Amino acid sequence: MAETILKARHITKLFPGMKALDDVDFDLQEGEVHILVGENGAGKSTLAKVILGAYKAEEGEVTFDNEVVKFNGTKEALAKGIVAVYQEFTLVPHISVAQNIFLNREYRTKLGLIDHKRMEREAQRLMESLNCEYIDVKSHVKTLSVAEQQMVEIAKALSFKPRVMVFDEPTATLSEREVDSLFAQIHRLKKEGIGIVYVSHRMQEFPLIGDRITILRDGVKIKTVDIDACSNEELVNMMVGRDVSQVYVRTQNEHTGTALRTQNLCDYKGKVKNVSISVRRGEIVGIAGLVGAGRTETAELLYGIEPVKSGDVFINEKNVLPKCPQNAVKLGIGLVSEDRKLQGLALDESIALNTVAVSLKKVFPNFFISNKKINEIALDYKKRLRIATTSVNKACKYLSGGNQQKVVLAKWLSFNPDILIFDEPTRGIDVAAKMEIYGLMDRLASEGKAIIMISSELPEVIGMSDRIYIMHEGEIVDEIRRGSEEFNSESIGARMMLGTGGTEDAEK
Amino acid sequence: MQKNSFKQTMKRVPPVAYMLVIIIVIFSFMDSHYLSFSNFRNVLIQSTPLMILAFGQTCIVLTQGTDLSLGAQVSFVTVFIVFLAQRGIILEAAMLIAVCCTMLIGAVNGLIVAKGNIPPFIATYGMQNIVNSISLLLTAGSSVYFSSFTYRIVTETTILFIPLMVWVAVAVFVIVWVVLRKTKFGTNIYGLGGNREALALAGISPVKCLIKTYAFAGMIAGIAGIITLCRVESGQPIVANGWEFQAVAATLLGGTSLREGKGGVTGTIFGVLLIQIIKNGLNVVGVQSIYQNAIIGSIVLAAIIIDAVVRIRAKE
Repeated sequence: MAETILKARHITKLFPGMKALDDVDFDLQEGEVHILVGENGAGKSTLAKVILGAYKAEEGEVTFDNEVVKFNGTKEALAKGIVAVYQEFTLVPHISVAQNIFLNREYRTKLGLIDHKRMEREAQRLMESLNCEYIDVKSHVKTLSVAEQQMVEIAKALSFKPRVMVFDEPTATLSEREVDSLFAQIHRLKKEGIGIVYVSHRMQEFPLIGDRITILRDGVKIKTVDIDACSNEELVNMMVGRDVSQVYVRTQNEHTGTALRTQNLCDYKGKVKNVSISVRRGEIVGIAGLVGAGRTETAELLYGIEPVKSGDVFINEKNVLPKCPQNAVKLGIGLVSEDRKLQGLALDESIALNTVAVSLKKVFPNFFISNKKINEIALDYKKRLRIATTSVNKACKYLSGGNQQKVVLAKWLSFNPDILIFDEPTRGIDVAAKMEIYGLMDRLASEGKAIIMISSELPEVIGMSDRIYIMHEGEIVDEIRRGSEEFNSESIGARMMLGTGGTEDAEK
Repeated sequence: MQKNSFKQTMKRVPPVAYMLVIIIVIFSFMDSHYLSFSNFRNVLIQSTPLMILAFGQTCIVLTQGTDLSLGAQVSFVTVFIVFLAQRGIILEAAMLIAVCCTMLIGAVNGLIVAKGNIPPFIATYGMQNIVNSISLLLTAGSSVYFSSFTYRIVTETTILFIPLMVWVAVAVFVIVWVVLRKTKFGTNIYGLGGNREALALAGISPVKCLIKTYAFAGMIAGIAGIITLCRVESGQPIVANGWEFQAVAATLLGGTSLREGKGGVTGTIFGVLLIQIIKNGLNVVGVQSIYQNAIIGSIVLAAIIIDAVVRIRAKE
């Protein structure tokens, strides 16, 4: 039996307005890859940050080498050999690889100047230990590929002589081949007795690298299981917390006429290749795919954020091309974007103002606006969407993620577009709010809206969609209808990963 | 292999250097006296104060900022040194005190920018006005005088036919270059512009770093002020108005990016020389000064637009 390096007991972490972690236990053994899994907002990254010393838990204790530790910031955790390999890269672009690895721990010459030669030598040694000697440690980080940058991150982590390494969604930005080489590295680290915490929600990866899995849901630990002792289905059920069919409600309704159709759509960046999709009124169409498959990019083409290189867009069978978002809105397209903070909401403005942001011209065709009327509209939507707030004059930044997303929805509902694109509509919001948003999407479809839904969470796409397009590296590789044999997470997941179509769809 | 390394070296030459050569060739065709050692020396002397100031501005631009108070700091130094000297303080001591003052001004700039998370151009614009007012208050709006032999030592002693003041600029260049390339502080400056989170995660305080950088630029502005004083031999409250923008332009021309902590102080030399050579050349060939600003402005805009276009192309 391997030695237990790290133990966390009864960890509770509070954030304003929510319990991010509630009495969670976790332990890690030498030479083990322990996967933390859960939906967005389940608390996996929060737990990782508590272990790393980036967050202080309100309750509970962490034991390292059978010794209770209380970290005051990541630096103290680092000193014990607990290091993170971050999801977003924490490298300085225009200094050398070696300088990045030894940032703030630079070797110096007798004169007090940086000893580039020695740092480069040491960095080279680290790179060799990772079998990455092809990376020039003198070159600027900016010139490296994403995968190479990740290797630099790992080398940097290794330079601290770690006992515990935390990987937070490390494969999110990597291509398949790069993922393979990352996993090879993780296996090597494991053999050296390093304990690895691996935060991820990509189930396909788990059997490849994991030893044990801890499932979190809404900040509560559900279970820790051995990787072999658990099927994907059981995992999903534990993550979601109930039978999937109860979360997603879909009313059967008629699909009438094609609202939006694209033909061989391409963009300039090569992220969208010959995409032909269609959505009918009353239909919810899902687009599934891995991160980087081109789903968001497709939405951006439809909404006029990025220019179309070639191909056609038909709205109500009329050939139109949204040139810019304003244009798209005029054509009756609404986008509930992935990043509501960046694109969806004016966070510093009131709920009321955000609610009417798009429909302002519709509500007030004349020059003047009336605050009274704005408030009336906002109050109406607050009631209809059950936005939890004391006043519609509050700034949106004070709302929780779920309620912010409801304001985005209110904004579009008050404008009443015919076509709605949902890009990761439930990212970072809790399950209760998710269910309300699903309910709302269903109602919108029943009212005859055409809905395109993009999501990384397969259960969500499968639960809500009438039809699913599967995207892989910019192309639509398959289309699967609800009710078909292939309409399940295994076969859709496999196609997302591999990019191969199954049986050709008869109708086309 | 050899060819390859030649290509690599060519790649490292900033585009502004080519522009410089082209412009020198154009001017030398337009006027046969243009290419002379004495004219070249003139350009060097004329560009020295701006050159020094631009080295400081480059450090600020590397942190994704601009310090608009640097010109005002130069003017202030000329005035303040004379002000102190008139009241009996030894000139050299007054110079030291003035440099300490500009370092302090820089530190305050850095503090406001870093702690208040205020866009640098706004914070330093405020400071520019404050410093300008102080200079005008100290002098009641006119030039002030204090005669000393020291000025001439700086401007007229020559080493290898080149005046001492140019060597001061060389020394400042070496210092800034070493700081940027060979010290932790310099590494952190690149970090401030490139990825502040990376600094914070490595246990470096971005706030302290920014304060240090602005103070460093302030110190360099102080040196530029001393050189200016020696050239004009008087305290002039508005002598360096607008230099901060010329310094930004020279920095950008030299290939330092306003966006991501990319570039360095070597390119800035070419940037300053380009601006100065155009000014000088226009004088030599007899273009009226009212057109000169428009021409220089156009060249700066063109350089920045070309840079932006290249960057956008590279992205696509």
